[in-house]
Amino acid sequence: MVTYVARRALLIPPVVMGVVTVTFILFAALPAQYQLVAHFGSPTVKEHCGYQPSCSCATLNPTSVHGDSCTCITPPTKTTPTGICTNPVYKEYYDRLGLNRPIVEQWATYVYRSFTFQWGNVSNYSTVAQVYPELKGQPVATAIAWELPYTLELALLSLLLILIIAIPLGNASAVNRNRPIDQISRVMSFSGFALPAFLLGSLLVAGMVLLFLPHSGFLVRTPWCPHGEPLDEEFTYSIPPTSSCYAGLGFGYSYPPWVANGIHSRPTGFVAIDAVIHGDDWLAVDSVLRILLPALVIAYGTVAGLLRFVRNSMLEVMNLDFVRTARAGGVPESVVIKRHAGRNSLNVTITVLGLTFAGFLGGFPIIEDVFHLNGIGEMLAIAADPSPALDFGVIFGSTLLFTFLIVSANLIVDVLYAYLDPRVRLG
Amino acid sequence: MQRTWYFFRRNTLAVIGLGIILSIAGLAVYSATLPLPWTNVPIWCATDYGPANPLSNYSGNYSQICPTTGPVICTYEVSPPPNAANFCGGQWYRDIVRSNVSFPSIIAPTLSVSPFSPGPMPLGGLATSSGSRTPIYDIASSLERGSDWSLLFSVSIVGLGALLGLFLGAVAGFYGGLLDEILMRFVDIFLSIPTILFVIVVVAVLSVDLPGGANAAAWVRIVAMILGFTLVWWPFYARLVRSQVLVVREQKYVEAAVAAGSRKLRTLFRHIIPNSVYPIFIQFSLDVGTVPLLVGALVFLGFGGLLFPSIPFPEWGSISAISVADLQGDFLTSCYTPATGCVIPWWQLFFPGLALFLYAISVNLLSDGIRDALDPRLRR
Repeated sequence: MVTYVARRALLIPPVVMGVVTVTFILFAALPAQYQLVAHFGSPTVKEHCGYQPSCSCATLNPTSVHGDSCTCITPPTKTTPTGICTNPVYKEYYDRLGLNRPIVEQWATYVYRSFTFQWGNVSNYSTVAQVYPELKGQPVATAIAWELPYTLELALLSLLLILIIAIPLGNASAVNRNRPIDQISRVMSFSGFALPAFLLGSLLVAGMVLLFLPHSGFLVRTPWCPHGEPLDEEFTYSIPPTSSCYAGLGFGYSYPPWVANGIHSRPTGFVAIDAVIHGDDWLAVDSVLRILLPALVIAYGTVAGLLRFVRNSMLEVMNLDFVRTARAGGVPESVVIKRHAGRNSLNVTITVLGLTFAGFLGGFPIIEDVFHLNGIGEMLAIAADPSPALDFGVIFGSTLLFTFLIVSANLIVDVLYAYLDPRVRLG
Repeated sequence: MQRTWYFFRRNTLAVIGLGIILSIAGLAVYSATLPLPWTNVPIWCATDYGPANPLSNYSGNYSQICPTTGPVICTYEVSPPPNAANFCGGQWYRDIVRSNVSFPSIIAPTLSVSPFSPGPMPLGGLATSSGSRTPIYDIASSLERGSDWSLLFSVSIVGLGALLGLFLGAVAGFYGGLLDEILMRFVDIFLSIPTILFVIVVVAVLSVDLPGGANAAAWVRIVAMILGFTLVWWPFYARLVRSQVLVVREQKYVEAAVAAGSRKLRTLFRHIIPNSVYPIFIQFSLDVGTVPLLVGALVFLGFGGLLFPSIPFPEWGSISAISVADLQGDFLTSCYTPATGCVIPWWQLFFPGLALFLYAISVNLLSDGIRDALDPRLRR
């Protein structure tokens, strides 16, 4: 076992280096100015002032554009009305990031920074900084650590739902091959492939609003929100509620007291647990209810793929000799299915599930966007908003996080696989 | 060949799948010939950036007809007139379009349709509302226009990925040794990169202004999107094929071929690859249906403007993404306004969804049929 794990772990460094190198190639393809913003966060580092490569020193207020301080090199003349300006700070930052060094050295520093979580800073002017003012200029690693619990909560709940749905259903459809339950599960598996998450998510929200739409007034009152809030916000929006839920209590605008006014007391980061710690039990219930719907959408999409694997591996195992022997020996069918076949068909399922969960930890950009939840995916989605500026620090940071997670999940899955199946580690 | 066709024809579902695919392909070929739906009302772009320079000797109007949005007229005062060659693909033009052309609404429902009663479905032939800069598509014509791009994207992305994966996986499995190790490490590397994220990064990197104001053209970004998807797609196929090749190369008939003097390359291409492509068919048919959804996801995340030459880009994934974005606003505001009552424009979701679903399922049926017809063991 130890040799197997060691042998498997030896393969990790080349893969991680390769992944970081691919990321570096993309990062280095960015113009220097974007690299500087991604790394330092504050865009005081434009090479030239203004929107055009050369600015008009006569007319432009030199400090107006993102706080650039412009120095005129060439004053405007009649023939060249646009004087050429340059920014002295630019050169300083340029050298500090090491962009004047040879590319191999840049690569080495990039790898070093990737492994030491120096993933750059959240840009001051991107949408991320507008939506999360408290993250403005913070290191990307901090921002990701801030958002990770939200995503983790959602991922864990989805995983739970998947385990509850996929494995029993897959087993049942393998056992009752070509019977109605098998057909149903196959249709479900196929529709999971064909239905995009954003479509299913919006339909679910719409359906919930229709189902529970109050007949009088626009607000629903729940035990955790006695002053009422719009119904769709109950099914979207992660905690803290953005509606008028807590407004009547006199604490800040809309937040419960322990997250009001930007003072976030989050001992664990998980909203449900924090709410319990702060004695806000209803809020804990609420926070779980809010992620139930998105978790269902995620589970539906994932179960689609998983059902196939569970069904196929179960079918394969059911035809093996030891199952036939067990049956011939008079072991009851339910025990055969549960203990002999079920347990031996778990290998493939665990592999797929492990990789799926690693993918989950990277966030769900679409789901979190549809349901207005907090999380890494949502942060990535708004970092990719081009309208003030793309936040390359966050985009590349989440890529690194994602790839590290997948690589380590691969390792864990392989080790688990070897533990479950002796043939793997010996063969 | 005749026998294959005979067995294929006996599979009714596969024939239906083939029929649907052929009609979509026909529609795609037809729609590629349609003119683009812009009107002749020009977009007036704002004046040049910055106030007029008293010393400037630039002033004038610049107009150009761009293929996706029609005529654009700009005045310039500070900087020289735009470069005619790459104006339509440049950042400047995209800023203009972004600020002038609002997001298209997919349809204007002719009647309020209550959520549970089937109402008139606006499946007419009108492409744009005349005189307005906001194109209003109806579902039928936008699905028709989008068929060519949807087909092109899904087939090229998955096809390229499958071909690359097939070739590299087969080579790795067949030759083994150091080559296998190296190729499989590459597979591991690209398997570790999340698909959507990688494409986002590639497109984002290409979307920035280069120093000097130049900019990657729209088609470069579309090609980059296709290549980006391909780059993270082939490892799945490579793994699949490799595991199959490892089994096939030990078979007796391969041994027989080698004993009969078949050279290595011939063995690989004539005996091993044809016998290990079946799992690829399954994966291919599943993936082809999901590509439009992934492109739709990119559009849903707000990459439509960066990725595509025009904002109302007709592609099935984009159409469903846009209608979903529309739906949330329309539906929720109408539901909280007591006067109007709840209106669910279900057709906005239903028809793009139906198109995607039909496409996905017919590819699936077709590939199942082909596989069953080709594989003698499955002919019964």
